[in-house]
Formats: sequence, C-alpha cells, structure tokens
Amino acid sequence: MKYLHKDFHGSLSCGFSYVTEKYGVEGFQEYCKEVARNVYSSLSEKIKESGLKAIEEHWNNIFTLEEGDFALYYEGPVLVLEVKECPAIAHMKKRGYKIAENFCEHTKLVNEELCRIAGYHSSCDYNQEKGTCIQRFWK
Amino acid sequence: MISCTEFILAYNELFKYIEERGGREGLEDFWTRISDEFLFNLDELVRTKGIKGMEEYWGHTLTEEVANARIYADDKEFRIEMDECPSVKRINESGIKKCSSYCYHCDTLYKRVIEKYGFIYNLDIIDADKGVCCVKVRKID
Repeated sequence: MKYLHKDFHGSLSCGFSYVTEKYGVEGFQEYCKEVARNVYSSLSEKIKESGLKAIEEHWNNIFTLEEGDFALYYEGPVLVLEVKECPAIAHMKKRGYKIAENFCEHTKLVNEELCRIAGYHSSCDYNQEKGTCIQRFWK
Repeated sequence: MISCTEFILAYNELFKYIEERGGREGLEDFWTRISDEFLFNLDELVRTKGIKGMEEYWGHTLTEEVANARIYADDKEFRIEMDECPSVKRINESGIKKCSSYCYHCDTLYKRVIEKYGFIYNLDIIDADKGVCCVKVRKID
C-alpha cells in the first residue's frame, strides 16, 4: 500500500486561504519561504550537489506518484516541467474542495526560494483554472 | 506543487507559523476553519450514517495514510487505537521540529463535527512524541 492521501491538497488549500486572509499576501509569501527553507532543505542540498538533475528527479517522482499529466525536458541549459493536468487541482475539483485564489502561487514561491538557496533560478507560469503550468529552472 | 506526500511537513510548518503569531488561540481559530470548510465529507457521513460513517471515513483515510492503527465500532461506540500516527511518524523521520500543539488539531477538527450529531468525542494523547493516542466516540443515550 503506497502512502497517497490526495485529500490533503484540499486541506492545504484551505490553509493558504486562511494565512492570506489573516496575515496578508506578505504573510503567505513568508510562509511559503519557510516551507522551502525547512521542508525542502534536502532538495536544495541535492541541487547544490547534482544541479538540475536533482530537480528533474524530484518532479519526476512526485508527478509519477500523483499520476499527473506532465513532461520534463531541456531547452538548452533550462529544465522545463510542463504540467498538462495538475493532480492537486484535478483532485480538488473532483472532490468539490474550495480552491484558494492563490493556490498555484505557492509553487512559484516555494520553487524560487529553494532554488535561490541552491544558487539557481526558477519561473512558473500557471493557469489555475485549467490546472496547467510551465515551470523553468536554470543556473 | 507541494505533493500530498509532503503535506504533513508543510502543514506542520503552517501550525508553527500561526502559533508564533497567534499562539494556541490562533491555532484553535485555524483548526476551526479547517473543520468547518474542509471536513464536509466527514460531516455528511456522520450526519447520514452515524458510527458507520465514522468507520467509513477513517477506514479510508487511515488506509491511504498507511496508519498503524486499529478501528473498533459497534452500535454505541467508535474507537481508534493509534499505535503510531502516520503524521507524527513523518515529522519525526524528517528531523523537522514538530509544532508543540500538533496533536491537538485532531481534537478540535473532529470533535466539532462529530458532537453536532449526538455523540461525545474524546481524544486521549498517550505519547505525543511517538504519535500514540486513542480516540473514543460514544453515542449519547
């Protein structure tokens, strides 16, 4: 039995709304940075050691486990993660969970901070309504 | 995307973030919000099926979380005996500091839903560090 409880996406979404309401956009940004610094510190370390390969492996594992529709490829020195159907958005829609207005923004903020720590850059262009995004990572 | 497999760690960070700013009162306010806005599936199951609904809800969630726990249910009582909470286990394995009030979220979240429908909910936290607890729900006669 694999550990996979997708309802957690709905709970986290509720948390994003709460933090934003209580502590503002700046509070939400600070929380996302805390997550990057604490939860993803080992990923930042791996990026320092192995470069973009570490990010590629991370996303490949996550999106395979969560059964997302995605592609990972390189455009020269840039790693691209193309999410064609986000498993978090798809699950929340299916279960009727309220999706925080800034839900997808967390991906952008967490990526930026964990990459910054490792000496890398990232961007994330998302369409929350469609549950799609294009994330780019480079040194 | 924070994966649902990393959720517990992000949730723990959220608890710490709120606790630092609003203390336990702030956490209680947040847990109340989660209970009211997120647990509508549990609410519906308890409202329509009572103890059978609780069995259905936790049977599903604890299986997906690969919990080391036992569920007992009869006409008047529902009980979860948790030998190792999967959330606490994840936090312990990560080496990340656990929010000091972490385990109490289960009390606020579930009591609020279940006691609406003629039950008494009791959470006995036996060992918060190891994630050992017992949830007892009794039908009010």
